[in-house]
Amino acid sequence: MTTFKTCAALTTAALMATTTAALAQDCPVKVGVLHSLSGTMAISETTLKDTMELLIEQQNEKGGLLGCEIEAVVVDPASDWPLFAEKARELLTVSEVDVIFGSWTSVSRKSALPVLEELNGLMFYPVQYEGEESSKNVFYTGAAPNQQAIPATDYFLEELGVEKFALLGTDYVYPRTTNNILESYLIDKGIAEEDIFVNYTPFGHSDWATIVADVVALGADGKQVGVISTINGDANIGFYKELAAAGVSADDIPVVAFSVGEEELSGLDTSNLVGHLAAWNYFQSAESEANDMWVAAWKERMGEERVTNDPMEAHYIGFNMWVNAVTEAGTTDVDAVRTAMYGQEFPNLTGGTAVMLPNHHLAKPVLIGEITADGQFDIISQTEEVPGDAWTDFLPESAVLKSDWQELGCGMYNVETETCVQLTSNY
Amino acid sequence: MRFLALLFAAAISLGVSGAQAQPTDLKAVLEVHAEQIERPKRLQVGEVVNDLIALGTPEVTEFLQRWQNRELHMREADGQFFYVGEGTPIELIDVVSGQVVGTAQDSELKQLRPNAGVRRVLGSALVQFQLSDPNILRRVAAVDSIARRPQADQLAPLLASIPDEPDAALKERKERLAGLLTARFDETTDARVAAIEALSGELSLDVQAVMNQILATRDQVAVALPEDENIAEIYEVGADLGTVEAYAQLVSAELAPAVIPNDAIRNALAANIDGGFVGGVPVAQLNTDAARATAYTALAEAGTVPPLVTDADISSAVQSHVFYAIYTEPDVAVTDAANDALNEITTRVGMNQALDLTLDGLSLASIYFLAAIGLAITFGVMGVINMAHGEFIMMGAYTGYVVQLFIPDYTLSILVALPLAFAITFGAGVAMERLVIRWLYHRPLETLLATFGISIALQQLAKNIFGTQARPLTSPGWLDGAWVMNDVVSISYIRIAIFILALIFLGLLLFILNKTRLGLEVRAVTQNPGMAASMGINPDRINMLTFGLGSGIAGIAGVAIGLYAKVTSEMGADYIVQSFMTVVVGGVGNVWGTLAGASLIGFLQKGIEWFNPANTLAAQTYMILFIILFIQFRPKGIVALKGRAAGD
Repeated sequence: MTTFKTCAALTTAALMATTTAALAQDCPVKVGVLHSLSGTMAISETTLKDTMELLIEQQNEKGGLLGCEIEAVVVDPASDWPLFAEKARELLTVSEVDVIFGSWTSVSRKSALPVLEELNGLMFYPVQYEGEESSKNVFYTGAAPNQQAIPATDYFLEELGVEKFALLGTDYVYPRTTNNILESYLIDKGIAEEDIFVNYTPFGHSDWATIVADVVALGADGKQVGVISTINGDANIGFYKELAAAGVSADDIPVVAFSVGEEELSGLDTSNLVGHLAAWNYFQSAESEANDMWVAAWKERMGEERVTNDPMEAHYIGFNMWVNAVTEAGTTDVDAVRTAMYGQEFPNLTGGTAVMLPNHHLAKPVLIGEITADGQFDIISQTEEVPGDAWTDFLPESAVLKSDWQELGCGMYNVETETCVQLTSNY
Repeated sequence: MRFLALLFAAAISLGVSGAQAQPTDLKAVLEVHAEQIERPKRLQVGEVVNDLIALGTPEVTEFLQRWQNRELHMREADGQFFYVGEGTPIELIDVVSGQVVGTAQDSELKQLRPNAGVRRVLGSALVQFQLSDPNILRRVAAVDSIARRPQADQLAPLLASIPDEPDAALKERKERLAGLLTARFDETTDARVAAIEALSGELSLDVQAVMNQILATRDQVAVALPEDENIAEIYEVGADLGTVEAYAQLVSAELAPAVIPNDAIRNALAANIDGGFVGGVPVAQLNTDAARATAYTALAEAGTVPPLVTDADISSAVQSHVFYAIYTEPDVAVTDAANDALNEITTRVGMNQALDLTLDGLSLASIYFLAAIGLAITFGVMGVINMAHGEFIMMGAYTGYVVQLFIPDYTLSILVALPLAFAITFGAGVAMERLVIRWLYHRPLETLLATFGISIALQQLAKNIFGTQARPLTSPGWLDGAWVMNDVVSISYIRIAIFILALIFLGLLLFILNKTRLGLEVRAVTQNPGMAASMGINPDRINMLTFGLGSGIAGIAGVAIGLYAKVTSEMGADYIVQSFMTVVVGGVGNVWGTLAGASLIGFLQKGIEWFNPANTLAAQTYMILFIILFIQFRPKGIVALKGRAAGD
């Protein structure tokens, strides 16, 4: 340990010598944390704020960055979407941060985007989302649809033999876009349109009896029914309670959820949910040394009963990649760091290696887990690393689009007409 | 070195192919299929299972069962499979002998977790061994497995296992299942028709599934109707089937040439330009579809391109064929019987669905009633618009949660939580009335703003104390599950309990308002506060108590709602709009009015959801539109106060 420390100190010293001489880095390095600490999204996002603080602390113990301490600048956009733009502007112009880690909902990201692009800021977005976006100033470390929804659907089709699909979602942008993609994907796969049942419910919906009955009744023609759930937040609780009350087990009608992780399950009695599925790029139960250390560090900081989840891993990868890119570039200048980000590799917590692609998405493995009685997941399927795709291939209007900031310098490039459609992401 | 490696590879492949030819014992089969056993895929695992069952030894059954139950482990070092026993280091049990053959650390072993699809395949394979197993759990597993994936070859072993089945309930299930399988798979028509007729009285999902599977159809096209097929339906082109789809069927049946798409025509023309002309037409004139068609036809006549399919060709081709659907089941008697049975079932399912919808509506109405009745009292008696009413619901629910932290027995904790929630929210209501609302009487706008502010503050307070993640409020075990009348009509016990709770409160409130001194005074203040005051009633005290009572009931509603939905800091906000709607529609300040309002809104919501199952949000929108219209015609709600008391 001592040798390691001396070693780290030496490297730091060496780094300091070179960088201070060359670029005179402003100390400290400032990292903006743009996560809601109050309002609806607070619990999910507060966890990520804590994650960032833990990561920064760990990095400072290793000697900081470019010879400087890293300082977290935490602001609270209060789950108020327009406030995300205000706070992003404040971080970039008043606090003059070098990078921002933040946002959870797509609408909050969309709100901060114009500011980031105007002021050439840099943001790492850690949550699984609907894709159809690629901004020069954002690195998407969460899953794109092809890294979560499509593999999970394949699992339903191939492994569980599902022939009839119920796509249940909360009524907002992520479920609607994802379900559009899935519908066209399923039709491509030969599922008849009448075998796809789609339902949208408001945020926080609690009266699930009729919908669950509808889903059960889908099985009347003897086909295997499966539910793909993009139900978000606490509405899940009523949904799963009603499923359990209706006596629907995972063997009868499996449910795969894209927004239910360890954190969400901690609010639920999971004994009735055993066997239902979730698809993520990370589960706490992943077996790797890095994960054991990460979970231990998290529990030590936050308490034994706290769990880790997928967006935390996204920040873990994103932050470490950013640190490496900054070290490589020798500066925190946004353009230099962005160039250094492409091709950055960092071991992810599930045992493989995450790579940053020129479209600002990561290549990550897709994991499918079955819920266990203790609120964790049994990983039953793990793919190789899947490269994230900003523009899905399963919608005709975005199949021709491609994002490549490294070579083409464009996030919305039409490969048919070979032109860049637009550079800003105000779509 | 390379030579050695080659030799080694050759030796391995020899060994493998040798083993594949004659896997004679369990170990050998496992070695051959090691990879499929470690990471099985549903579509490929069948081969492994067949090889294993072909061995026919008793340890194979045991192996399959353990594998299915995820009790199989693999030693990472050498890829050997073991069952594991007790202790640390873990005892390794041989899969053939069942003896402990060594020990290993947890980290050296990998638990094999076949996915649900693979487990289903294993379950189906195990059925034949488990149907007469002495262990009832295994027999139940076998019956479950057949029920999920009925297969033709399961009928005989199932029938054979019925006479010796000791458990009466399981025997009944087996007989029922045998009926289902007979209807689908039996070899004689009579047996199948009899089985179908026996099933036609039921309306459960699996019966519907069997009928639908017997009646599965396939679209066909031919020049004339065949005699020997079991025809389900003949399509009339134009009415049942569009010309384009009909022609597409002809193309896919290879009875007609494919339509040549426009861009293919253009490409063909471009490829055949000959000195500025294509098929005798100058290129410059090829700017209309008609000109291109002429040029293309000329090319087609010369034989350079496939002939153009014109609209006339399409319609004549479609008219010279019949389009029909045949049953995949060839036996007419069986499909007729199944059709009759399904028609009868469908009618009964429809009626039962209506009943189910009514129950759901009733349940929703009772929830809205509970949420709104407290508001109806405060709003009605005091004219105070209490935007923080939802937060009293939330407080009640969190009270339930906290009580469960201290009292682990769920039944007892609910019994404690109900009065405690009432007491706490009663206190909170009184405090709010004393501290805020009292100073704002007759200033409805300020009251609205003040209570709205309190509501936000309470929400954030709850977030700070409990976090925003939903908290579990678990119902006692005897409220789990549902009251199932049949496969269509069922309602969860928890909803029945809420319904009963709503009834109790209806009765209690009616009693308090009509039979007690407090009720008399409340009614007096409701009707005319000034007159009541001059009669010696202290309106201040009545207001305080009424507000406390209304808030207290909200707290109890919170416990009930938390049991069936969730406990979060925002749960109150979900109910406040519905509560106000209920009160406004029902008529202010009247228990019966609230009941009528809750019923109207509950049933209306369910009805609209039934018409538009894809979007629950739209249902709520339509409902609000309806309510706006309703208020236009009955501005005082369903049950309006009459006379001078109405304050007109």
